[in-house]
Amino acid sequence: MKESLLLIILLIVMTSTCDTISQLCLKASINKLDLNVKGPRQILAFILRIILTPLAWLGFVFSCLSLFLWLFVLSKAELSFAFSLDSMHYVFIAIASGFVLKEKVGLRRWIGTGLIMIGIILVSLTGNG
Amino acid sequence: MGKNGLTLRIIIFLVLNDFLETYAHFCFKQSALSQNDLHIRGLGDITAFAHSMIVNPHLWIGLVCVSAIFVSWSTILSKIDLSVATPITSFSYVFIALISWLFLHEYVSPLRWAGIFFILAGVIFVSMSSHDNTDVAP
Repeated sequence: MKESLLLIILLIVMTSTCDTISQLCLKASINKLDLNVKGPRQILAFILRIILTPLAWLGFVFSCLSLFLWLFVLSKAELSFAFSLDSMHYVFIAIASGFVLKEKVGLRRWIGTGLIMIGIILVSLTGNG
Repeated sequence: MGKNGLTLRIIIFLVLNDFLETYAHFCFKQSALSQNDLHIRGLGDITAFAHSMIVNPHLWIGLVCVSAIFVSWSTILSKIDLSVATPITSFSYVFIALISWLFLHEYVSPLRWAGIFFILAGVIFVSMSSHDNTDVAP
């Protein structure tokens, strides 16, 4: 468990980056569907349409990559440490939602993102166990 | 986008998502615990690590949870914006810290709790902005 703290943080940055790319792919593919899901048949159709979207598959590939990196991180770091630091993907997603998906990211949302960053720094200061 | 409304149904999905996520990461940690003295020296070590993870039943229980999350998360994302949905699910940070302390016997120091509550405060700020139509895009 006494691996270099910097290496663990770097691995968590890589995990979060893969996670962010995966989320963006999923959101972009679902945005294109624009479905109003109500009954079981529509849910099935919804799932089928997601499966047929290449961008969703790209998201799945990055999910797998993220999972593998995450298991590797967990073999080296405490869960309460690693999972808290993994919240940096909110920061990545807030930035990417604004610039890639063109969602409106307002002032309060940026303040919230700033608070999350302070939290990440505080948790980082506790070291890994 | 005109789909920022947080209905009761969406909130139920978000809470379900939180519980599933917490349990999934508990399972992942359980599977990774078997390899916590691992040192990577070459490609062989990476494949050996991957193999030991794949044969671990805890990983598969975690993956079943992740599959369920995928369905609930897809439903959530079809109704509300990603930059609103994502932070709300982060209440799992407190749940994760609690199970790490209770079941994994990790020491969660006051500073770490402080950091986790800053993250939560950030989440509440971001959630508040879901009804804010006066925000100016940067």
